Amino acid sequence: MNPRSISFRLVAWYAGLLAVIFMLLCALLYLDLRHFLENDLREAQARRARQIANALLVHVKQTGEGYVASQTKEWYDPEINDRFIRVTRADGTLVYVSGAPKDGGFDPAEIPIFPPSSKTEFSQKLKLSGGDTLLIAGLNFKSSGNPDYLVESGALLSPVETMLDHLFLQLALGLPLAVIIITVGGYLLVRRALVPVEQITRAAERITQHNLSERLPAANSGDELERLSLALNRMITRLDEAFQNSQRFVADASHDLRTPLTILHGELEHFAEDARLNSELRDRAGSMLEEVVHLGKIVEQLSTLSRLDAGDAQTEWSRFDLTELARTTVEQMNLLAEDKAISVSCEAGQPVPVKGNRVRLKQVIVNLLDNAIKYTPANGAVHLRVRAANGHAVLEVEDTGIGIPVRALPQVFERFYRVDPSRTADSESAGLGLAIVKAICTAHGAEVEAHSIVGSGSCFRVRLPLSQS
Amino acid sequence: MRILLVEDEKKVADIIVRGLKAERFAVDACHDGQSGWEAADAYNYDLIILDLMLPGLSGTEILEKVRRKNQSVPILILTARDGMADKLKNFETGADDYLTKPFAFAELLVRVKALLRRGPVSRASVLRVGDLEIDRLSQNVKRAGKKIELTSKEYSLLEYLATQPNRVFSRTMIIEHVWDQSFQGLTNIVDVYVRHLRAKVDDAFPVKLLRTVRGVGYSISDGTQA
Repeated sequence: MNPRSISFRLVAWYAGLLAVIFMLLCALLYLDLRHFLENDLREAQARRARQIANALLVHVKQTGEGYVASQTKEWYDPEINDRFIRVTRADGTLVYVSGAPKDGGFDPAEIPIFPPSSKTEFSQKLKLSGGDTLLIAGLNFKSSGNPDYLVESGALLSPVETMLDHLFLQLALGLPLAVIIITVGGYLLVRRALVPVEQITRAAERITQHNLSERLPAANSGDELERLSLALNRMITRLDEAFQNSQRFVADASHDLRTPLTILHGELEHFAEDARLNSELRDRAGSMLEEVVHLGKIVEQLSTLSRLDAGDAQTEWSRFDLTELARTTVEQMNLLAEDKAISVSCEAGQPVPVKGNRVRLKQVIVNLLDNAIKYTPANGAVHLRVRAANGHAVLEVEDTGIGIPVRALPQVFERFYRVDPSRTADSESAGLGLAIVKAICTAHGAEVEAHSIVGSGSCFRVRLPLSQS
Repeated sequence: MRILLVEDEKKVADIIVRGLKAERFAVDACHDGQSGWEAADAYNYDLIILDLMLPGLSGTEILEKVRRKNQSVPILILTARDGMADKLKNFETGADDYLTKPFAFAELLVRVKALLRRGPVSRASVLRVGDLEIDRLSQNVKRAGKKIELTSKEYSLLEYLATQPNRVFSRTMIIEHVWDQSFQGLTNIVDVYVRHLRAKVDDAFPVKLLRTVRGVGYSISDGTQA
């Protein structure tokens, strides 16, 4: 999971905050409940001590201490109710003490006499040897005309503690569970909220120069996402316009250059073949004519590109064997290579059926071979390979030429790009051959890529979808 | 032979008129669609050369009108557009051939002559240039009685040049005829083939038949004007 992603950060913050709030709430609940339950128990003990004092000890003169003891036992039955009750005289001697409780939670004989205190009411927690805690509330009974007594009433704290322990366990288990649920739920929620973003992203990825007329799905939610998709759509519209303008410019420019070039060509032709002129003048006219022809070639290639941009290669599709096309093209180009003492080999065995514009795809092979031959020095080699692999037709043109520097590789398919701008002596090419290759490949849903090592050669690879019969 | 040229670019028209007149054709030139149509309507021309982009009536409209009236006159289209769709559309409307600007006049002339079925487009089964003999049936080539072995492309190139001795063929024409559309722009391949052809046909003989016209193209000739 990416810790910088918006979903991670949202969920982390939200789950973290909720966990802290939950923990604080649980702690508060636990402490408050413990306080309340202990107080309640203490209050009950104190009340009992007060009852004994107010109902029995007040009349001790008339009834005698024995009556106090028997009545206390009768009213409260401490052995059955797991209670501790003790009445002592001021000198520490016992008037009454409850017996051991039925379930043996403590031994009343063990409990020390509370030292005399000036306070009327007090309470204490007594740790017993068994590990339990006894909560005792005491009352110093003082009354004019009666002797002083100390009344103590106690009860075990263990039921309260058991309950608190149980609560603690539940909270300790419940809290992480709640945090997990919050995290997972939050993550799913955030993911759901981000689905439109994902859709917009995918749609935006699909848009290339060839389908700029498409638009992203509008979120129609009236929020930031809708504004985002609308803004992106407006941007695509502007891109579309800019792209169409540049396409139109190339098409118009190549179109408008044709007439002046025709005139130049025609006039120079007259000069070049005019027998009345001396041969030097005719030769100069011929030299100019060569440049006009070269210009014409650039215009031709530009207009080929603008036609490809307009979808020209999408017409006249047929199914044919790429192997056979490659083999015949190599045969036709062979002499061009032989002329430079370059060997051209063709590794193409099995038929590789593809679908597309045959003339255009042949142009791809011609341009790649021409390029390879052009940039391979004498006695070099050019290999053409055609094979089917993973549902694709793969065509490779590899040479032992001068190679292309790594920094230039991404740009070799750009229009008018030259690896070495000073290499202008190469007047045969306009720097459009590979751009045409790229445009034709794109129109066929094919990829074309270049690999190269400077000084040892380049390899151009075209991957075209195989045609299923 | 009377040819009508409808071309709004005066300079282009001048070049064509001058060139065609030098070849002893009678040429009428019109510079807009309306007068072009009127001329085409008034006379029975042997050939019409039509630019597509015209003021007034467009070339395509004239083409349609002419075809409605006269089925047989050959029509050659000049166009600055070379889209596939344009080509198809004009062939459907009845153009006989087309030429994309910029073109070499030599190319225009070859097409004009082909459309008029005139000139030295030889249908003979044996072509002769000087002491060179090309047998089109057996595809055997002999010079001074000695057999010359040629590859099939070399043969096609030689035969193409020999159909019209003394005529200069541009590299583009040779590419289109001997190779195919995908080799467009790859004109240096023609130079290589001509060099190979020279080595086989000319090197051993004092009289050189294959001639280079700089900037224009190649021709075959035995030195005498045909």
